[in-house]
Amino acid sequence: MSEPESDSISKGKDGLTIHTVSKDRLLEFMKDMKERGFNHLSLITGVDRRDYVEVVYHLHAMDRDEYVVVKTTTDNGVVPSMTSLWNSARWDEREQYDLMGIKFEGHENLKRIFLPENWVGHPLRKDYDLSNVQYINMDEDGEDYATFDQGDGW
Amino acid sequence: MKSGDAGFITTTVEKALTWARSNSIWPLTFGLACCAIEMMSVQASRLDVSRFGSEVFRNSPRQSDLMIVAGTVTKKMAPRLKRLYDEMPYPKYVIAMGVCVIQGGPYVKGYSVVLGVDKVVPVDVYVPGCPPTPEALTYGIVTLQEKIRGETDR
Repeated sequence: MSEPESDSISKGKDGLTIHTVSKDRLLEFMKDMKERGFNHLSLITGVDRRDYVEVVYHLHAMDRDEYVVVKTTTDNGVVPSMTSLWNSARWDEREQYDLMGIKFEGHENLKRIFLPENWVGHPLRKDYDLSNVQYINMDEDGEDYATFDQGDGW
Repeated sequence: MKSGDAGFITTTVEKALTWARSNSIWPLTFGLACCAIEMMSVQASRLDVSRFGSEVFRNSPRQSDLMIVAGTVTKKMAPRLKRLYDEMPYPKYVIAMGVCVIQGGPYVKGYSVVLGVDKVVPVDVYVPGCPPTPEALTYGIVTLQEKIRGETDR
């Protein structure tokens, strides 16, 4: 079965095929991959390379138990959302937005999934300042807010 | 306490009250992570904490005397934990179970974990371990009973 054309193909250490695709062609490429039987998006993750951000997708064809890796890069932290193809992308993309600060264009509910709503910064980015400790408090309506000194609740 | 030949007992009101109080500590059903599994086994038949009068794990903070903080307290959870503690009636006690709760444990260099629940609520007994054995938690509860009866200065 022929694969859709990607910018470059390489082999990972674990033997998985890695397709590198530019982010403008990503949605179109992924649509082709889904039509070729990759019916499960098993994981989305991000790598902070300081100058740019790499977004990694692991696809799984359940019928023939085949895995493939798709990588794309972005300079401004924006990539197209995969929610129109796989529904599992909704939470995966929210996780990447929460911890890596990657924005997914077309995601209808892109907000933090783990950390409190008003957390400052994205902790898995290289430029995140760990020495700036944040404290979370809850106001009357149950909304969280972050402070940089120990508030009344602490 | 003194028992006389006539078949009666003399004691002080203070002693009687603290004796009754220490032998009916009802903990709050409050598990945050893996330590909660050990807390459950303390409550179950093999180690049976009801031998010490703590068998009733209440599901409402308004009916409980003891909060066993069993598991990692995240910063997002801290205001919720504070609210549950505030909803408990006096006299109320807190056991910090496990190193995560005592000082952060393996997450001590993380960004999202409270480094010691004593920053949020006052703690009576610390039970170290990762996780503490059920016997250690039982010992912690017995230590708390001694503390309530005023038999220890720890």
